[in-house]
Amino acid sequence: MKHLLTASALVMGLGTAAIADDITIGFAIAKSGWVEAYDAPAVAAARIRIDEINAAGGLLGKQIKWIEADTKSDQAQSASAGLQMVDEGADMLIVSCDYDFGAPAALAAEGAGLNSFFLCAEDIKAGIQGVGPNSFSASVLAAVQGATMAEWSIKERDAKTGYVLLDTTIEYNKGICTGYDWMFPKAGGEIVGRDTFLNGDASIASQITRIKGLAEEPDVIMLCSYIPGAASAVRQIRAAGITSTILNGSAVDGSYWLDAAPDLSNFIVPVQGSIYGDDTRPAVNEFRDAFEAATGAGPSSTYAYPGYLLIDLWAKAVERAGTVEASAVTAELEKMTNEPTAFGPRSFSSEIHHQNTAEMQIVEITNGKPGVIGSFTISEPVPLDVLLK
Amino acid sequence: MNAIPQLFFDAMSLGGIYAMAALGIALIFGVMKLVNFAHGEYIAFCVFALIVPSTDAVAVMFLGKAPAFLLIPTLLLIGAAVAVASEFFVFRHMRNATPVAMMISSFALGFVIQNILLVVFSSRPKAVSLWPELNQPVSIAGASIPLLQLIVILSTLIVVVTLAVLLKRTRIGLEMRAAAENFTMARLLGVRANVVITGAFALSGALAAAVALIMVTQTGVADIRMGGQIMLVAFIATVIGGLGSLPGAVAAGFLIGAASVILQGFLPLEARPFRDAFLFTLVIVSLLLRPEGLFAPRSSKPRV
Repeated sequence: MKHLLTASALVMGLGTAAIADDITIGFAIAKSGWVEAYDAPAVAAARIRIDEINAAGGLLGKQIKWIEADTKSDQAQSASAGLQMVDEGADMLIVSCDYDFGAPAALAAEGAGLNSFFLCAEDIKAGIQGVGPNSFSASVLAAVQGATMAEWSIKERDAKTGYVLLDTTIEYNKGICTGYDWMFPKAGGEIVGRDTFLNGDASIASQITRIKGLAEEPDVIMLCSYIPGAASAVRQIRAAGITSTILNGSAVDGSYWLDAAPDLSNFIVPVQGSIYGDDTRPAVNEFRDAFEAATGAGPSSTYAYPGYLLIDLWAKAVERAGTVEASAVTAELEKMTNEPTAFGPRSFSSEIHHQNTAEMQIVEITNGKPGVIGSFTISEPVPLDVLLK
Repeated sequence: MNAIPQLFFDAMSLGGIYAMAALGIALIFGVMKLVNFAHGEYIAFCVFALIVPSTDAVAVMFLGKAPAFLLIPTLLLIGAAVAVASEFFVFRHMRNATPVAMMISSFALGFVIQNILLVVFSSRPKAVSLWPELNQPVSIAGASIPLLQLIVILSTLIVVVTLAVLLKRTRIGLEMRAAAENFTMARLLGVRANVVITGAFALSGALAAAVALIMVTQTGVADIRMGGQIMLVAFIATVIGGLGSLPGAVAAGFLIGAASVILQGFLPLEARPFRDAFLFTLVIVSLLLRPEGLFAPRSSKPRV
């Protein structure tokens, strides 16, 4: 028995020594099930940034290594994947894109006093408000996307009337419409009507009937939804002969679904970075090419990019703090105000661990072909009380 | 625009989809008291049969490229084949099991089909542009409706009439009706159980394929979870129509479609997100008033 204890003490000592040489990032992500398709691109992007940092000499003079656990696209498994990463000695956790699927793992990190980053959550809850003081997301809040569409359409397209079509299935959609509702009247537009639908609705005929019943076709329709429901809605709206400009959140980015609405035009998507190689910032295009070289295909949507950004920002904060200890890193992250990155300036504060304003690329789809037509930043950040609505 | 005809066509077309799906479930329930929860997955399976198996984000048409006169019968056959195969491999071995055990195994079967689709096609929804020209609006009686809606309404009526003729006029139809009334007695009188049950599954699968065609033409997307919602509504339609009653399932399908469209059209904005809650409240009320269903067959009442 004594020997056994000595032996295990030795092994444990060796184990700790081996871990201490490296910095370990734990990925508690979906490697199977339906969430996998959404997590995988951002994880690939995160690893590209890790490799870059390692190639440049590492972080605090140490190499970064990563370990991973599968959440199997299941919320209960997400919690155990998070705990597994904590037990295996992760210094920080990266969790699933979506709040519902990432939060259980992020809570495990929070409980163990570690930093956690959501791959691309865009709900204010994925941070201080829902998980705790050491949790962050690298993406841009849904409300900012809606507000960007509202102000951009008024300033650049001279929109005067807007119609809001909200898919009430998930919180993300409500976030986009909240941002739009806040900004559109403020910027001088008038919302002439609104309606709701569900992502899985077999038909939105009655919603279309209501739009067609308006005295005049609205200048813009703010569609707060995601694929597949958004694609189906757009197909039906255009088929009904409604030609208004359709505004969206980033969730519909990517050309893979465009066959659903043949020859689509007048369709606008705000994104953090373009996946078509035509971003206004050369650094984004370079990363897009690096992603293609590393994975064999370009990103299928803009949601690969936050994976790169989160490692970038976290590593900067670790370098400044001189440690991976969560409260010190959080303090450094919260000091970031307009921190320059390849994807534009990023800020965190002690209230918001998200972007409540951001430089967004405006992608327009014309005759079924997407392309960047410019970039736009809202004139004022979305205030916290609007985000918490 | 004329509001009443518009509402009528919107309601009829949504109801038509529900009615067709409900009919597929009621057929199988009629002959073997099985609520087949895999029916929604048959629908998804048929949609994915249109495209080349691949996990790539962009879908390439496969069967979807075929001309309509070839595509429609082939897809109906595929739907029938999937349903018959599931009967042969799963439900045939459970003939003597309780309805609850069969229902659970249908859940399991649905899960298996969905996960096969997930592995082969990935969970990302895909675009499938089938016959986009059918979405062109046409004007009828002051209403402007997509051509597809008319086709849905007409084809539902055709399917229902054909099925009624099949059940009333053919030998297999007679056997199915006999089996639906009293399966044990029908067998004792020489009805071939396997033929009747296989026939019911084939028809049910073909109906799932028809629903798949309508949904994919209407929405333009293929998603592995697309059958779930419609399966739920269709199941409810079979229940409030009176389990086992085929005309009841069709009528209740139309009724739910109409109720859903009317609620969407007339609820105030604040209440509209809860449309389905109101819809299901109506379902509860209907079941409280008529627990055996609105159009229950006489055979479903216990003869004490």
